[in-house]
Amino acid sequence: MTPIRLAAAGLVLLSAPAFGQQQVPPWAQGRPDSMAQSTLAPHPPRLTVTPPGDVPMNRLRVPAGFRVAFWAHGMPGARMMALGDQGTVFVGTRVIGRVYAVSEQGGQRSHRILAEGLTQPNGIAFKDGALTVMAINQVLRWDGIEGRLADPGTPADLTAAFNLPPDQHHGWKFTAFGPAGRLYTNIGVPCNICTFDRDRFALIVSFRPDGSDRRIEARGIRNSVGFDWHPTTRELWATNNGRDWAGNDEPHDTLHRIRRSGEDHGFPWCVGMWADPAMERRQCSEFEQPAASLGPHTAPLGMRFYTGTMFPQAYRGAIFVARRGSWNRETKIGYDVVVVKLDAQSNVTAVEPFLTGLLDEQAQQFHGRPVDVLQLRDGSLLVSDEQNGAIYRITYGG
Amino acid sequence: MRRFRFGAAVLAAALFCVPLAAAPEQAGLCAACHGARGVSAMAEVPSLAGQPETFLTLQMILFRERIRRFEPMNAAMQSMQDAEVEALARFHAALPPPAPGTAPEAERAARGRALSAEHRCGVCHRADYAGQAQVPRLSGQREDYLLHAMRDYRAGRRQGTDTSMQAVLYGLSDRDLADLAHYLATVPLGR
Repeated sequence: MTPIRLAAAGLVLLSAPAFGQQQVPPWAQGRPDSMAQSTLAPHPPRLTVTPPGDVPMNRLRVPAGFRVAFWAHGMPGARMMALGDQGTVFVGTRVIGRVYAVSEQGGQRSHRILAEGLTQPNGIAFKDGALTVMAINQVLRWDGIEGRLADPGTPADLTAAFNLPPDQHHGWKFTAFGPAGRLYTNIGVPCNICTFDRDRFALIVSFRPDGSDRRIEARGIRNSVGFDWHPTTRELWATNNGRDWAGNDEPHDTLHRIRRSGEDHGFPWCVGMWADPAMERRQCSEFEQPAASLGPHTAPLGMRFYTGTMFPQAYRGAIFVARRGSWNRETKIGYDVVVVKLDAQSNVTAVEPFLTGLLDEQAQQFHGRPVDVLQLRDGSLLVSDEQNGAIYRITYGG
Repeated sequence: MRRFRFGAAVLAAALFCVPLAAAPEQAGLCAACHGARGVSAMAEVPSLAGQPETFLTLQMILFRERIRRFEPMNAAMQSMQDAEVEALARFHAALPPPAPGTAPEAERAARGRALSAEHRCGVCHRADYAGQAQVPRLSGQREDYLLHAMRDYRAGRRQGTDTSMQAVLYGLSDRDLADLAHYLATVPLGR
């Protein structure tokens, strides 16, 4: 039951981060002088337990026929989720450095801390009984994890094999196994907007599960913290976070369809047909175009195709996307889950609100920050709320 | 050595601490090093009085989780529950902030002021350096602690809930940091 503490995290902090010559925080780079006195800044995380009575259940809204219920809580910083074979839900975090496991026994749901002291263990993937965790410049694997949740033991350390960049900014990972069994992750750009090595950053890459055979799956994607594969075409789809300080409504955060391995999606020059004025001019038509806009500064993160049958026909094959919500925008936007509907040719036909209520537009206050969605085997949908350390479950009918 | 000093401090707190009005039980432990009413008289130990509540909570959690490393604080926070952390943060945030230190050396203060303007310290820390949310108050803080903290950030030994401070201090000289600390510690309250 004693959680294991991983001393390796300290080493990452002690090694000098690669900041290059920048003199402003990464989140403030590219801020024009006209916005120098802007008070916009990233919102603080909450790292303490939100008491169950303070989790804003009464604010949550879902479409008619759906219901949203309190599923788990007391996990500060809860972000990316992965589902184990035996039903365990594994949950990653960023600043607080923990990995949680939520499990049910005898009708009682409880969570425990599986690992702690890691440097932003946001990437969580489960396959063949093993849990893979990606922190910043660290890859760990616990084999047979569901058989020893109480005492997970020492993980296999795959860090050297994966050889991920040590950069902290945009260095946190989303990770998932693809249809062919390769392990995919994002490598975000370590700045807001800059020139950089396009073979090293702003990528989605894949590896063999042992960390060998690195392959660039998509290029010019600034920072994707959520992707999934279309259930029939097997194409990779990914969310992307656009850059800050280019204005309240520019650029848009986006959803990308990657038809072929290695495609170029345009960062740092273009987001769709929007050419970034801070960069050298390029023809945006030479790059792949996003499948959809997900709104400016909305921070779309975790996304999954819905493959269940509990939800009505209109939702089957659609994509649920958690939007964590804006900071670099004078009027707040996001803080919700949207559903992206596709036609038979995978064209996006609509982006609709699904889980709302966490943003009080009148007061310009948010009450939660959805980060990931995860479909359970019964077809219900979990939503993690980082700000409240809670997980909600959405069902239909019944 | 640090461990010993901390042990002695805990003992001192247990023996001499006068309970503060409405203070959480553990506040006496804090006072041993951070001073009565959260105003530190100990070298390189920060004052806590008047710091933003969110900042205090986050830093205590980072100590507890050993994301921020300083053995005496890691030990002090080890078995602290979230509610206790929040009560300590509330308590110290409500204490009146310390008055700024001795009158500045004009030339160094002017250099520090220019550096602060250049690096826009006042955007996150606010124009009066009172801090906000996860960003600490600088006004009235101990000069030696401000210098210590900035050195740690610059060297990558410390980071906050994001990497802003490491980035903003990149490439600054020892003299820059010393002059910044001198200016910030002595800038009048409510400037």
